[in-house]
Amino acid sequence: MNIIIGTFVIGAAAVLLWLKLPNGEWRLASYLASIDTFLFTAPRVLIALLGAGFFAELLPENEVRQLLGEEAGIAAVLLAVVLGPLTPGGAFVSFAIAAAALKTGASPVAAIAYVTSWSLFSTTKIFAYELSFMGRRATLLRILVSLPVPFVISGLSYAW
Amino acid sequence: MPSLKNTEADPPPIRKKRQIIDGSLLVLSAFTALAGIAVFLSSGAGRALEIVADTFTFLAVLSPKIAAGIFIAATLPLMLPKEHVGRLIGRESGLRGLLIAAFCGAAIPGGPMMTFPIAAGLGVAGADLGAMIAFISGWSLLGLNRTLIWEFSFLPADLVWTRYLLSLPVPILLGLAVRTFLQVRK
Repeated sequence: MNIIIGTFVIGAAAVLLWLKLPNGEWRLASYLASIDTFLFTAPRVLIALLGAGFFAELLPENEVRQLLGEEAGIAAVLLAVVLGPLTPGGAFVSFAIAAAALKTGASPVAAIAYVTSWSLFSTTKIFAYELSFMGRRATLLRILVSLPVPFVISGLSYAW
Repeated sequence: MPSLKNTEADPPPIRKKRQIIDGSLLVLSAFTALAGIAVFLSSGAGRALEIVADTFTFLAVLSPKIAAGIFIAATLPLMLPKEHVGRLIGRESGLRGLLIAAFCGAAIPGGPMMTFPIAAGLGVAGADLGAMIAFISGWSLLGLNRTLIWEFSFLPADLVWTRYLLSLPVPILLGLAVRTFLQVRK
């Protein structure tokens, strides 16, 4: 159901954007950019989803439940926050891993902590892009002020 | 949408080609190959093939969404008015500037290879560090393209809503925190 709603929203946005393209030259540039983006994205998505599928099969259910389940409490959140930044690859990898962990017994609060921590502190993003474009001072300052966020968000989601 | 470029008169900007095979793809491939081998060894070839088939089915279901998302991610940046944005979220822009920055971050599709150059460009165009961090955090926590295409496809809807709504004020709070921090240090 989510997939259908999302497909409609994204599809409508794409059509609107296409209608904004003023002439043939712009449409051609947009198609070329789309092909370029597709060639970049497609292998990553395919390999990441395959990897996530294999990974989910390998996750040891008992350990996941023990380390990341409801019972583990704060320790689960801490572990999730540490694991987030270490996740390689793009958004689909972290969401797929969170989904696999949920299925094998991780608590929703831990999943939220993991996704939030990945969003803010993904080491791939920081080392490959942020440091080189934003510089060390801006990057450090951002990380510093953002440090409490995964804990606050997962704490609030627990209370929710 | 008056905020888009007056595209009728201008030619489209030229895009730099991206390297398709890079370090992160190689790491991801190695990780997937190892996991695949581990599944093959522990559960047999049948189970490994089943997972491959499931993955392709899932991809087929996702493909219209991915196609539309790729089109948006590739086209919107061509039309973004960078100079205009810089004026809107400059140093003196106050809370309104942070709001606009966070919103722009959430609305911008595409990965880090796009967001960080834009953020740096905003700085050159006059945005302050608070606004730049609100922009980056808006993209990190609230990116619409990512949430609509990927997050809702994988995770339960109530979990996604909870995370999203709780994260809503965060980019603005982070921007304020940075501004306060820099003010105190002065």
